[in-house]
Amino acid sequence: MLRFEKRDKTPIQLRVLVPICSVLLGLLMGSVVMLFAHVNPLRVYGAIVKGAFGSAYTFSETLVIAVPLILMSVGLCLVYRMKFFNIGAKGQYIIGAICGSYLALFGPATMSRPLLLTLMMVLGTLGGALWAIIPALLKVYWNVNEVIVTLLLNYIASYILWFFMYGTWGTRGFPLSKNFALNAQLPRILPPPSRLHIGLFFGLAAAVIIWIIIRKTRFGYETRVLGENERAARYAGINVFKTVIIAAVISGGLAGLAGIAHTSAVLRVLQLEINSDYGYTAIIAAWLAGLDPLVAVGISVLLAALEAGGYQIQIVMRVPFGIVGVIESSILFCLLAGEIVTHYRVILTRRLSTPPGSTPRIGKKCSVALDERARGGA
Amino acid sequence: MEGQEQLMLVMSNITKRFPGIVANDHVNFALRKGEIHTLLGENGAGKSTLMNVLDGIYYPDEGEITIEGKRVDLRSPLDSMKHGIGMIHQHFMLVDSLSVIENVILGLESQGFYIDKKSVAHQIEAIAKKYNFRVDPYAKIWQLSVGEQQRVEIIKTLFKGARILILDEPTAVLTPQESEELFGILREMKSEGKSIIFISHKLNEVMSISDRVTVLRKGQLVGTVDTVSITERELAKMMIGRDVLFRLERKDIEQGREVLKVEDAQAYNDRGIMALNKLNITVHGGEIMGVAGVAGNGQVELAECITGLRHLVSGHVTVEGIDVTNATPCTLASAGVNYIPADRLGVGLVPNLSTVDNAMLRKYKQQPMRRGTFIDYAAACTYADGLIEKFDIAVPLKNAPVKVLSGGNMQKLLLAREIEENPRLLIAEHPTRGLDVGATEFVRKILLEQRDNGVAVLLISEDLDEILMVADRVAVMYEGRIVGIVDAHHVDIAQIGLMMAGAVGAKA
Repeated sequence: MLRFEKRDKTPIQLRVLVPICSVLLGLLMGSVVMLFAHVNPLRVYGAIVKGAFGSAYTFSETLVIAVPLILMSVGLCLVYRMKFFNIGAKGQYIIGAICGSYLALFGPATMSRPLLLTLMMVLGTLGGALWAIIPALLKVYWNVNEVIVTLLLNYIASYILWFFMYGTWGTRGFPLSKNFALNAQLPRILPPPSRLHIGLFFGLAAAVIIWIIIRKTRFGYETRVLGENERAARYAGINVFKTVIIAAVISGGLAGLAGIAHTSAVLRVLQLEINSDYGYTAIIAAWLAGLDPLVAVGISVLLAALEAGGYQIQIVMRVPFGIVGVIESSILFCLLAGEIVTHYRVILTRRLSTPPGSTPRIGKKCSVALDERARGGA
Repeated sequence: MEGQEQLMLVMSNITKRFPGIVANDHVNFALRKGEIHTLLGENGAGKSTLMNVLDGIYYPDEGEITIEGKRVDLRSPLDSMKHGIGMIHQHFMLVDSLSVIENVILGLESQGFYIDKKSVAHQIEAIAKKYNFRVDPYAKIWQLSVGEQQRVEIIKTLFKGARILILDEPTAVLTPQESEELFGILREMKSEGKSIIFISHKLNEVMSISDRVTVLRKGQLVGTVDTVSITERELAKMMIGRDVLFRLERKDIEQGREVLKVEDAQAYNDRGIMALNKLNITVHGGEIMGVAGVAGNGQVELAECITGLRHLVSGHVTVEGIDVTNATPCTLASAGVNYIPADRLGVGLVPNLSTVDNAMLRKYKQQPMRRGTFIDYAAACTYADGLIEKFDIAVPLKNAPVKVLSGGNMQKLLLAREIEENPRLLIAEHPTRGLDVGATEFVRKILLEQRDNGVAVLLISEDLDEILMVADRVAVMYEGRIVGIVDAHHVDIAQIGLMMAGAVGAKA
């Protein structure tokens, strides 16, 4: 029988080894699936690596995907530390894209490019922030579960996009806006065909700023205390209302910025598919990074590589793109399972070792809990 | 000794140990057929443990249980149920969204695949009618009042064929009218030949409802007496113990001016019941006011109202003449109110954050830790080091989460953090609960030190010994009111016991 004992401290070698082993195990699990699809896993993994990092161009395409992931995941690091489980980055991304695109499509044509782009980014950020304020207000006023609200708001945002695309913003009956004018295109930073744009700097700046907020500022301290113990936070005079709203605004705003930046620089058109599912990938990135914004940058690049490489294997090897999803989820699954080893010591026992007659007869789970308590008291 | 009576249940030499404590120490308990038998004792006297043993939740380390002369082995609530024992817990075990019928048959093995709701409904109505009360079998639990829910619990146990009913402080959640109705039902059941164990610490109820009383104190049996042959006063003395006690050394200091004044305070508890009932109390600088009382009489709510964690419905709280009624924790902090909450890890400390993070919780907005929008963590570390040294707190790693500290050191850290704020009013709620002897002494010493420095201290404790040891005056709380204030220097223990049990009203 297995018994789990909580560790007081995780040894550093475990912190490094467990994630590596988890990733390898995940790749192995993915391989099994690939064998069923009659492809050579080594070739597929090779193709993914090549597709993601093989050339300057492919790497820049990886970064194109990483930019929105970075922007969204660092914002999520902040709110998740506060235990505000915003899973609505997708919706905030879409609303940001819509709000910013409004200026691109209907703004005054005479406006200078820097001004127009700045206003678009600001409007996109505000849109995302607005979409995040809704669950935050519901949470602080009526304690409504933010997970459900943000999840449902994702659907609402999607349908709002549909509404505009099939409605007045579409062109000639297609669910596509007209192309953004040059003035409304966020500058790219490498020569074509690379689509890497200055949003990368937004992402890096955001990561550093959020890291500083979490580690160095009073606000970051307040979010941590609030996330860990709301009663203690209230007693210490922390303004719960203000803290939750501001953090939600930051995370939603960054998602909105990701949406408009990606739309304006990469797509250059508003359409039904604007890669809003990055909003879910960003959640994974934030958690895998242990809610550390700087680590989240690296994780975002890795997840983006998997995604970019996935496009490659689809084209080159005619392997279904779903394989990438399988690999991604196998790795995630193993990483989460690995958490048990980092947080608990696993002990193999023959039986629950309790002296006969002294155990409360309320089941094994309880007696383990009592053991735990006994140790805590000792 | 009780051979002529028909004994329903005998528990003999029951011993149950928990880590560090003997909750029941060779306790004997006998229940006759058709009697209402009260189990009386302070918190921690071992009443609940004994009854949980009977209900099969705990298995005793020693001792045996016989029901109608036959030895039984109760290893789960299901076993107990099979032997006709039914327990009605203080917090009801009902599923809110289900109907009365569904709750009653929950967990019954006798029900087949198909549930005949109609026949169950008839049976429920028949039981209710027998004891002169009404219950709608089709009503959902959430639609019922607390009193009605309790009746559903009673029906549940009777439906399962209980002959021995255990009621754990059944009146704690009831209004006086509902209590009267409950007593009616209990008397009816008694005349039916059922045996009832009634757990309480309200003496007036004990006297009016029960035939016999068994008193426990600190895990040991004090005695079993017939209600007719004893007075409330004698019972109180049995419950609390000796009259003599030991007081800590203290300086004689001039009593300061009024610091805390609570007037006509009214507030609800978490269950929406009025927990503070026009409460009045005054505490002066340089005195420790002990608040004694059985748990659940509004002590927690009183502390929370003064510290801004609970909303006052009406009434006023002033600190040094400044109105702080329903003030924010910030305002209270600047008024000099500091708080040692009973729930150290729930309210006082943030378990997953480090010692440094916890130490600066009250100070991070001030110099020298404040640096614009930033926090100077170096200054915070220095500050934490200062506290650790001054209060002799054993901290293995300053950056490890505080939850790894021992209870005593956690309390020292919390105390240190609050004392450093230079309070004018210090509210300490069960400050020594769960601490070892050394830490307990340390905490009490600090409280006395604060008093000598002219701070007004409100000490809320379930431990009457502690209150009598350190307090200058003792206020006794009962049902959301201060029923009396006595001088701790020459105190009449029996008097306090009677007040705690609601037997006498205010007397200065």
